[in-house]
Formats: sequence, structure tokens, C-alpha cells
Amino acid sequence: MLNFIARRLLVAMFQLVGLVLVVFFAIRLLPADPVARLVGMNATPEAYRISQQALGLDRPVLEQLGNYIVGVAKGDFGRSWVSGAPVTEDIRNVLPITIELITISFILAFLISVPLGMLCALRPGGVADTATFTYSLFAGSQPEFWWGLLFIYIFFAILGWAPPPLGRLDPMSTPPASVTGFITVDSLLAGNMTAFRDGVHHLMLPVATKVFVLSGPIIKMVRQNMVRVLGADYVLYAHASGLPPWRVALIALKNALVPALTLLGVLYGYILGGAVLIETVFSLGGIGQYAVRSVLAFDYPAIQAVVLVIAAISLFVYLALDVIHAWIDPRLAS
Amino acid sequence: MPSDAAPVLDVRGLNVDYGGRAAIEDFKLTIAPGEIVGLTGDSGSGKSTLALALLGLTRGPGRISGGSVLLQGVDLLALDEASRRERRGRDIGLIVQNPRGALSPLHRVGQQIGAVYRSHQAVSGTQAASHAIDMLRSLGLNDPERRAQAYPHEISGGMAQRVLIAMALGSGPRLLVADEPTSGLDVTIQAQFLDEMWRTVRKAGSAVLLMTQDLGIIANYCDRVVVLQNGRQVEDAPTQSFYAAPRDSYSRSILALRKEDALADATPAPLLAIKDMRKTFPLRGSEKRVQAVDDVSFTIGHGETLGLVGESGSGKTTVGRCILRLVEPDTGEISFGGADVTRASPVALRALRRKLQVVFQDPFDSLDPRWTVADILAEAIDGKPGKARITELLRLVGLGPDVARAKPRALSAGSQQRVNIARAIAVEPELIVLDEPTSALTPLARIAIIRLLRDIQARLGVSYLFISHDLNTVEHMSHRVAVMYLGQIVEIGTREQIFRSPLHPYSKALLGAHLVADPSRRRVDRTDLQTLSGEIPSPIDLPRGCYLASRCPVAQPSCREQPQPLLPAPDGRFVRCTPAIASLKQSPH
Amino acid sequence: MSEVLDLNDAGAMHIAKPAPSFLFRLGSVLVALSLVLMVVGPWITPYDPNRPTFEISEPPPALSAVPGLLWKVITGAPHDPIHWFGTDSTGLDVFSRVIAAPRTDVAIAVSANIVSLMLGSLLGLLAGFARPWVAGTVMRISDLIQAFPVFITGMILVTLAGRSNTTIVLTLAFLYTPIYVRLTRAEVLSQRHRGFVDAARVLGKAESFIALRHVLPNAMAPSLIQASVTIGFAILMTAGLSFVGAGVRPPTPEWGLMIAASANELIQGEWWSSLFPGLAISLTVFGYAAFGNGLERKYAQ
Repeated sequence: MLNFIARRLLVAMFQLVGLVLVVFFAIRLLPADPVARLVGMNATPEAYRISQQALGLDRPVLEQLGNYIVGVAKGDFGRSWVSGAPVTEDIRNVLPITIELITISFILAFLISVPLGMLCALRPGGVADTATFTYSLFAGSQPEFWWGLLFIYIFFAILGWAPPPLGRLDPMSTPPASVTGFITVDSLLAGNMTAFRDGVHHLMLPVATKVFVLSGPIIKMVRQNMVRVLGADYVLYAHASGLPPWRVALIALKNALVPALTLLGVLYGYILGGAVLIETVFSLGGIGQYAVRSVLAFDYPAIQAVVLVIAAISLFVYLALDVIHAWIDPRLAS
Repeated sequence: MPSDAAPVLDVRGLNVDYGGRAAIEDFKLTIAPGEIVGLTGDSGSGKSTLALALLGLTRGPGRISGGSVLLQGVDLLALDEASRRERRGRDIGLIVQNPRGALSPLHRVGQQIGAVYRSHQAVSGTQAASHAIDMLRSLGLNDPERRAQAYPHEISGGMAQRVLIAMALGSGPRLLVADEPTSGLDVTIQAQFLDEMWRTVRKAGSAVLLMTQDLGIIANYCDRVVVLQNGRQVEDAPTQSFYAAPRDSYSRSILALRKEDALADATPAPLLAIKDMRKTFPLRGSEKRVQAVDDVSFTIGHGETLGLVGESGSGKTTVGRCILRLVEPDTGEISFGGADVTRASPVALRALRRKLQVVFQDPFDSLDPRWTVADILAEAIDGKPGKARITELLRLVGLGPDVARAKPRALSAGSQQRVNIARAIAVEPELIVLDEPTSALTPLARIAIIRLLRDIQARLGVSYLFISHDLNTVEHMSHRVAVMYLGQIVEIGTREQIFRSPLHPYSKALLGAHLVADPSRRRVDRTDLQTLSGEIPSPIDLPRGCYLASRCPVAQPSCREQPQPLLPAPDGRFVRCTPAIASLKQSPH
Repeated sequence: MSEVLDLNDAGAMHIAKPAPSFLFRLGSVLVALSLVLMVVGPWITPYDPNRPTFEISEPPPALSAVPGLLWKVITGAPHDPIHWFGTDSTGLDVFSRVIAAPRTDVAIAVSANIVSLMLGSLLGLLAGFARPWVAGTVMRISDLIQAFPVFITGMILVTLAGRSNTTIVLTLAFLYTPIYVRLTRAEVLSQRHRGFVDAARVLGKAESFIALRHVLPNAMAPSLIQASVTIGFAILMTAGLSFVGAGVRPPTPEWGLMIAASANELIQGEWWSSLFPGLAISLTVFGYAAFGNGLERKYAQ
């Protein structure tokens, strides 16, 4: 088992190193001129050269790479070319917002989808199955940014139940002291119930949108696993051995949900990278919006940091779930 | 031992259908206490459906649409589901084919045995756990405490079947339904398992309904035979009279292969000669290698069939694949018609290959599902063959010309195998490697294919390397026979030598485990059986001396130290056992 | 061989084939519609999708008025200009833009998938047949690409390479190729040891012949099914990229751009200019998902 974890960690490390290199070279190979973007079209060649020097872009590429890798190894992603602020600091501020949104949505979607998926599997082809399955296929193929807007129109513009989609908290309320960076957790820690309620209120619509689109693939996956397990010989044989129905159900559930762990890991990484759209719609100010800002401004240090941080978290979550999977399912580790 | 007591099981007018299609029709059967009834029929005849229906269960969209199943006088089908559940596993136990699939892969086997016991007996978890261990011990497993901790993927098929028995017999049911319990097991393991089951149920006085396609098993272990065809019972007779004179035409045809026919003549001049062939495979994630073929030498003459027998893992398939150069042997010489196959240039090899053809085990898998039969045959014959040639080939294998337009999926398994044979003979080869060509077929199709192959040999004078674990078909096909164990040939001789008087202890055990479809030669009645004990050594860590020494009943201390060479015996055969040859020299027959 | 003893597996269970499901039919219709609009969409618009009309922020006709207007259009009776989906705040006809957009959205998605399907299948075939180190290299590169966050990487590549249809197609093709490499390779690995492949070897056929004639055709089905689903995702991604300003440039008629352009008006009650393009994405992508799901079920049988 330890061997298994070590091997997986090693592969993940290699992938991260590969990512650093690929990102670094890819953005330098593409036909974009960040200096021109920064100094403007009408800048003098002198101003252009000064700016180039300031960004270190006049040095040999390998030297730039060396400096960069030394920095990354120390956890320093450099300074933003646009604002001059340390990128590591920026990421520390924006990342928790995204993680909070994604994790809450993920857990809620899972809790809703598992019973629905199982309901489908009980009578495949029945009315409940057809309806739920159609829903999951639909939800799994929806433009979430549009649904976010639709929810805003209905619940904010028409009904007035939701706050305006302008951030994580009302501008008037005082944010809690940052401990974890998660507003819900921090406000509870500080005992600030007003901020907590406000935080949850602002999360309501983005989470609802996310849960809606996420429930699609999860229902489909649970249903598929459950149908497979319920048709398996060991379930039939458990019935034939006279096991009570609840015990057969437990056996089936374990066999259906455990293989789902690896897929959930993939899904988490996928939606972490896809948080851009929902954050833009609700102006949440997470890492997704930070990514958009950096990309449109050609802010290379920030772009590199965003890609690496998201890829690293995805790999780590995937790895963790895979290890748990292997721990429960002895077939994988051997 | 039929008795006049009230029957344990009394099935009347049972009907099962799948979406309106009858799978079991008006089935009736009674089983007396302690009786062992064999039920046979082709795959698809409804055996598995029947087994489940006897417990009031069906698979998928199936439905029990009528009849009654009286279990000790109580109609199981008339009870509510809760009372039915109580009786399942307590009054009637089930074991199935593919035992590993019947166990949850994420639970330990001891836990699973205990769970069944607990759902029928008021016992604590600890008691159930120790009961599970007791059951495993009583089934002859050594170290049952450790076995109970294993997960299903960690145990062998034979072991998994014993776990199922432990679950099924835990509460001492009066009736055990066994659905193809030994399909997929090796013959020596199958015999060991059936012997154990026979002893266990005879001791407990339980009745058994044993469903199997293998008439050898029925002849050896059953008191009565029931034949099922297309969901209907077509025969119900005591074993002795069934084998002496089956009444029904279907029963007669499945027993037909027992008649012996003469083989076509063969010339001894060797067509193929293998010398000192060796093949190992690397083991994933390890430095070690799996030994598949070890020091194998033999020859095959023109028009001759050499039967290659052995259990799974004996390396017999690898030998065939090495000859075809589908895998490269590590060392050794293969000469074919005087040419050296191992050192042939790519061009020469391609030409050589066409004289060497193959028929595989899985007939459907061997045909490209997207091609028509005509395309498949045309691929074999380079250039544009005329329609007449295709028709001619199809006729040779007993198929009509209209088959040419069909895709493989539209054909039955037997017809698919005929197409495979047609493709093999299309290039007019001199040798065909037949790799278990009949194992995936129903008994009827098997007979037909064996006849076809012999017919082709007589007409075309082609030689065969016939690889099979089924001793029956090998006996019907082969001029000479080689027995393999763990990659080595342990004995090679004429059909009569091997089948009438095997010399090597492994050959003896293998043939002893062979269940002949003849109730007058029952294995359970024989006293002079030579049986093996213990488990097969791993092909990764083979013993230093003779590979059989740890299981051999006549092993001497030197056997464990010294590898045994393959030496000629006085009667012309070769045997890899010095003590056995010595004993033959002392007492020549 | 006068007697053929074969029984045609008479007792085998055949589960009746269900009729093509409602979902599959719906999916087929939507997919077909999207492909037709991709080809003819810009030619059949009632208004020029890029030239503003004089009606600014005109709402669509009330549902009750639709039958009457339709009648007028069919009979050719004189009527005021009709904007079925209304006009946006610059006066562009929403209906015309919605049906002109598949020329961008669907065309990008389909082209990207054709490129990645071809590239991925060939690389997958290579990874299944070539020497271990070649196969290993192909697979490690695939793994590496798949470790990138898809949307953000798409954003970066498209923006830095210059926002145009071509760069979007190439970016999506790059990001999706590993999916097809993986699927094809897995299928090739399971096919290459099948009996008919070995039988062709024994007949002396060349490896390249076997790979292209026997293995590849039998290994394509999962990729083709996947393509239907991935085209849907590619449409979502194309629209998403332009929604955040990292995709095609305005004023191209494109669903994501249309939604982005009218997001602010939505809160003020101008729902039509973002509702209809959104519905178009929603239905189109759902159509591809339903079609792919139907194919998958058919293939599994």
C-alpha cells in the first residue's frame, strides 16, 4: 500500500515538473507580445526596452527558466507584471473563495445525486429512471454561466430573494478576520453570525447553479454503477443465500460507490478548473476570475501560477481519492 | 440411493418466461432425500434459469409464470417473500458456476460465509466467524483461519467454489442445487472438488441436484439423470439405464461420441520437429520471469495428430503459439518440412507460415466481426479467389454457399468454428495447430467439429497439433499424445500407451481424474486411484528438482533435489520420471 | 459432411431490443438541426445579423400574437417588421443572430473534434502497436496534457495565440486529442490479441495491414460515440470562452458573446436578448449528449 502511494506521488511530482516546463515554454512560444501590451502601442522603443528589462525578458530564456524554477521551489511565483504585487499573496487571497464554492457545491451535489441515481437503478427503464436519467443528461450538458444569469434574473431581479451578484459579501458588512480564507468558516470561528448569514446568502445562487450542472454526471455515474452491481452475480447469489434485503443493499451500495471515488476525483479537478465562468457571473473574485484578469492582461507570472496551483490541487485530490479507493478495494493495491 | 420417503423436492408444472418467451416449460421433477440427481442439457437449455427458479428467483426481466416448487411439502412459490427468504440458504442451498463472481469483491470470504449463517441462525458475530472457519476446515482447507481473511480475488477458482459450498451448506439444508459447479476448474481440481462434495452430502444425507453439461460427471456421481432441452424435460431415467440405452433422440446424439472410429493413417517421417524449446515471460513490476515452456521437444509426422494435454498453466498453448511464431521462443529449434523456422528470414517466414495454420478456442473472437465470411476466406487466399473456390471451401466444412454473405455474428458458435477451419485449410497448409478448438462449443457441436476435423485429415492428409484439456476429445483425435505439466512434457507416447497404461505419476493422476461417461467405471468406486495432494507450485518460483515432487505419491528424496530428464522407456515412449521407468523395466508387461 | 449437428443456440436468452428511445430520436433531430444551421444558418436569416435595425431593445411578440403573425408571414399579408426573438440594445435582430451562430459555434466544435479524433486515433493506434518507449512517450504526453485545467488552458492558448476561429479550433483539438488517444489505445490493446488478429498474422499479413484493416476499424466505435459528447462540450467551451472575453471577437454572431453582451440588460428586465442564445446552447448541447448516449446504448447491445 505504501509502495502504491509512493509510486503515485512520484508520478504526480513528475507531472508537476512537466507542467512547469510546458507552461513556461508554451506561453513564450505563442505569438503574443506582453511588453507591447503593457507599454501600449504608441510607446517609444526606449520605453519598450526599459519595460522589457524591468520584466527580465531581455535575459536568455534558460536563465529566466532557472530563476523561475528556483522561485517556484521556494513557493515564490514572482510579482505580477500588472500590479507588481507578489503573485503568491494574490493566490492565497483568491484560492479559498473558489475552493469554498466548489467544495460546498460538490458535497451538496453528491448528497442529492446518490439517492437519485439509486432510485434510477432500482427499476431501470421505469418512469422514475427515465425521468431522472433525462434530467441528468440535460443537467450535465448545460451552459452554467447562462443558468447563473437566469437564476439571477429570477431570484434577484424578479423575486428579490437573492442578493445582487456582486461578490462574496455585501459591501456594507464587515468581513471576518481571515483564518482559513473560507468566509463561512471564518465567520463562524469569529462568532460573527451576520457575516455568516450574509456569506451563505451570497453563496446561495452560485452553489445552486453549480449543484444543478454537477448533479448530471454524478447521477449518471451512480446509476451506471448501481445498475451494474444490481445485475451482478454476487447480488443475485446474496438473495439466493437468503440474506435479508438490508444486508444485500449494503453489499450493493459499497460495491457501487467505491469505484465512483476515482471518478469523483477527476470531476473535482475538472470543476476547479472550470470555476471561471460561475465566478465571472457572480463576481466572486476567486482564482477563476483572477485567471481571466491575468490572461487578458498577458500577466505571465500570474498565468503560470494559476495553472500550476490548479493542476497541483487537482492532482492531489485525485491522488487522495485514489488512495482511499485502493485502501477500501484490495484489488487495486495489489 | 433413492428412497421411498416423502420427496425433498417436488416440482410441478413450473413455467418461467422472459418477456413472453418461455425459458422453462411445464417442468416436473421429484428428488428423494439423499438422492443425487444429474440434470444435463446444452448451454441455453435453461439449466441456470431452472436453478434460480427452484429458489423462487429469476434474473433480469424473467418471471415465474406458473407451477409449484414443493420444498419438504411446502410450496415455496406460494409463500410471501419474507418466508421464502428464510428458507433460501436454510432448507435449500445453491452453488453456481463462476464462484468468484458470486462473491462480493469487497468483502472477506469468512465474513460472507458468516453473514449467510447469521441470517438463518440466532448467533453472534463471533460465533458466525468461528462457524465459517469450521466449515472451511471441514471442506479440507488447510489454514482456514488465514483463508477466511482472504478477499475473493486472492483465492483460486477451486477455493472459491468451496467457499460457496460453505455458504450453501452452513445451515445444513436438505437440498443442494449445484449449477455447473466445476466449469472452469482444471480436471484434477474438479475431481478433488466433486469427491469432497460427494462425501460431504453423502455423510449429511442431503439431496443434490447437479446441473452439468459434462456427461462424465453425471455418470460418475449421480443416481438419476434428467435431460433438459429448450426448457423442457425430455428424459428422466436412472443413470445405469440412461447410459445403456437413452430413450430420447437428443440424449442419444449427445452420447454418440463414445463410439470409437479408426484414425486416418499417418507416416512417421517428421514434418515438424521441435528441439529444446524454452519460453519465459517477464513479470510486470518484477525482475522475475514466469516459466511457460521448459525444454520441450517433439515431432509430428505427415498426416499425424499429436495431442497435447495439460491443465491450465501447463504451457500447452504457448507451445502452439511458439510454433506459429506468434510468440518468439527464447531458445530451441523448430524445423518444419526441413526448413528452420526460428532462423527464417521475414520473407521466408511469411511463405512458411502459410503452410502452418491455426484454429483458436473462441470461434467468434477469431473472425473479424465487421467482415463477411466471403471476405474472411478471401483474405486467406491471396489474390481474387473465384466464388467457386469460396463455395468449395464452405462445402468442405459442411456449410452452405449462402453462408458466404453472412457476418460472423449471424452464425452459431459451431458454424463460426467451421468458418475458422475453412480459413485455415484455404491455404492448403501441411500442419494446423488446433488450440482447444472445441472447448467453447456445446457437446453436440463439439462432436460435429471433431468429426469434421478427422474427415479433413483423411481427405487432405494434413497434420494436427491438437491442444486440449479435454481428454475425451484428445483420445478421439490423436495418434500420439504428449502430457504437459508446468511447461514440461512429462510423458509422450502413442494414444494407447498414454490412455491405457500411463507411466508418469502426473499422467496417472490426470487420467484418474478424467471422468469417463460410463457409470460402470465410476471414480468413486475405484480404490486404486493415484491422486495428487497439495497445490501446484507457482511457475515463478519452480522447485529445484522434479516439479511434481511436492505432490507426488511416489516421490523419493532424490526427486526433490534432481530435475528429472525425459528418457525413453523400453516400450518406445518417453517419460520424465526415472523411478517410473525403472519400475517398468523391472516388471515388463 | 452430410449431417450438421449444430443447434443454433436455440435456448439462448434474447432480451428484446428496445425501440430507439425518445431521447435518441430527440438528440438526432437536434444534432441534425445544428448541422443544417451550421451550413445554411447565415444564408436564411430574416435580417442581416450584423446590421442594427431601428428598433432598439424591442421585446419579442407576445405568445398570443404569434399565430396571427405567422399567418401573415405565410399568406404574405403586409405586416410590420417582425423580430421573433426581439432586438438587443444595439438594435440587432436576436433571431437572426441565434440561427447564424452555429456557423461559428458548431463549426468550431465539429472541426476541433474531427482534427482531434483523427490525430488521437492514429496516435492511439501507434501507442497500442509501437515499441514500449514510443507508446510510453505518447501516453506520458497525453497524461501531461490532461493534467492541465481545460478551461483555463483554453483561455490562455486562445488569447496568447490571437483570438480567431482557427486558434480556437486548434486549441480545442489540442486539449481533446488525449481523450481519443486514450480511448483508441485501450480499444487497440484489447483488440490486438483477439483471435482474428492472430489469425491474420498466421496468414502472413503485415503488421501495418493488420493495424489498419483489422484493429483500427474495430477500435473506432468508442471514439465515435465519445465524439458526439465531446462536440457538445466543445460548444460549451467555445461559448464560455467568448463569454469571458477570451474567444471569438465581437460582433461575430456567437451564442456566448450574445449572452455576455446582454448580461447587464438582463437585470433591467431585458430577458430576451440573453434567453434565446442560452436556450440554443442548452438544447444543442443536450442534443449531442442525448445522441451520444443513444449511440452508446446501441453499441452496448
